[in-house]
Amino acid sequence: MSLELNWDGLDISILGPACLAGLIVLSTHVPLGKQVLSRGIIFIDLAIAQIAALGVIIAHYFGVDEQSFGVQIAAAAAALAGAGLLAWTDKRWPEYQEPLIGTLFVLAATGALLLLANNPQGGEHLKDLLVGQILWVSYSQLIPAAILSVFLLAFMWLRQGRLTGLLFYALFALAITVSVQLVGVYLVFASLIVPALATAGMTGKGRLSAAYAIGALGYASGLVLSAVLDLPSGALIVWTLAACALLAQLVPAVRRSHPAQS
Amino acid sequence: MKKLFSLALMLAATAAAPAHASLKVFACEPEWASLLQELAGDKIAVDVGTSALQDVHQIEAKPSLIAKVRRADLVVCTGADLEVGWLPQLLRQAANPKVMSGTGNFMAANAITTLEKPTKLDRAAGDVHPQGNPHFQMDPYRMLAIAKALSARLAQLDAANTAVYQQRLGDFSTRWSSAIKRWEVKAAPLRGSKIIVQHASWIYLEHWLGLERIGALEPKPGVPPTSGHLASLIGVAKSGKTLAIVRAAYQDPKSSQWLSERTGVPAVVLPLTVGGDAQSKDLFGLFDSTIDKLLSAAK
Repeated sequence: MSLELNWDGLDISILGPACLAGLIVLSTHVPLGKQVLSRGIIFIDLAIAQIAALGVIIAHYFGVDEQSFGVQIAAAAAALAGAGLLAWTDKRWPEYQEPLIGTLFVLAATGALLLLANNPQGGEHLKDLLVGQILWVSYSQLIPAAILSVFLLAFMWLRQGRLTGLLFYALFALAITVSVQLVGVYLVFASLIVPALATAGMTGKGRLSAAYAIGALGYASGLVLSAVLDLPSGALIVWTLAACALLAQLVPAVRRSHPAQS
Repeated sequence: MKKLFSLALMLAATAAAPAHASLKVFACEPEWASLLQELAGDKIAVDVGTSALQDVHQIEAKPSLIAKVRRADLVVCTGADLEVGWLPQLLRQAANPKVMSGTGNFMAANAITTLEKPTKLDRAAGDVHPQGNPHFQMDPYRMLAIAKALSARLAQLDAANTAVYQQRLGDFSTRWSSAIKRWEVKAAPLRGSKIIVQHASWIYLEHWLGLERIGALEPKPGVPPTSGHLASLIGVAKSGKTLAIVRAAYQDPKSSQWLSERTGVPAVVLPLTVGGDAQSKDLFGLFDSTIDKLLSAAK
């Protein structure tokens, strides 16, 4: 890897849509991440994303056109069904929720492999669903994602953040189905967990603002660095998110309230 | 590591922009960058999108790629859906009307006829390309046809240098045609040899040199092998005198080594494109190296 700096890619028309996509994803994922963390179900986004992908592959089986809106419906329906199942297991066996999520994840992932054994072109859709590339995002693609995010945020605000089992899982499924296709599974995971984790010790409104700031800084610095260092954007943003989360610990208001420090 | 370094150096050399270049060209794969170098020398500045150690069916998005396409006067790619996973998005994000279509958009596949063009599209047949097999850089005759079309395109875009492009094409054609004769003589002992391939990347080489493909590690293009398929391949490999199990430089060695260990048939890595090994510094080196490696497997 050469460390030659590259200023060509540092262009707002190249990085702008990606940055906006990141902010849209963050808008819903930061508050949801807080819940994921407090419920201790860290890998739920991976499971839901895999189930959404499985839904697309099954839709393929029944001849749904690959470019059509039907694919989105299939992904959302599968994600909602998976969320329903997880909401039920959460009620039935709360102590086993995390291992159940893990099991569902590997079942969905390997189920896709088994179905794809005879349908290799579905593999491309599986990949599109799981490793969405943030740089390929266009503004027109962001409109439906932004509208859905506004709805989800309004809903969460109306409920004052109190999301009971089924509601939480349903909202989560819809948010993940959209965000995974925009930015990919790694970034979705990082957007959910990293800002929430970095601010775990904080309480009240300050926590949400701090988490948003860490997330936004992570995306912006990751995009700029990926242009300058000529590295893949998605992977680098995961690292800058983590770096911003670590740097935030230098701020007394963030650090002081950590349980480990008190 | 040393190999990687020299590769990086070579890529940097091809990407370096001569001060008086009149055209900026973006090449999707190294073989087209190399051909452009032959056809235009320092009249153009070439950026390459991928390297020989990458699977060109899919690439990671980097901001610099979009920037390079944005400033290009001409985009030269394989076409035939090889880059279907990323080129459409790249062109859309770059929003450069010069290269979206028309004269600024050169798809090599349009200059030739492809092999394995399916008569009907059937998902069950695997990851097949409806426009035929796009790995045609390993056919020197098709390469020559593409050189002619590409040279004409360069002249169309940069009329002031038409004489240069014509002279360079003539020079390249002469050297290439005599190289083809040399390669055909050298590779004559390979005619009729049986090979097992990893991915269907070698159909044009097989046709040209008269190699016989008796099996593929991927049961269908793009589908990973199943245990039953691998077991049947052992039988196939042992049934006759198999020359080699062939894979490209970018491909994972696991499955071909697995088969090689169980059958004693040597696993051979071929460069597939310019930069795929130390010897493949340009198109001539690419074919020299490919034939040398197949011949050494025959010994």
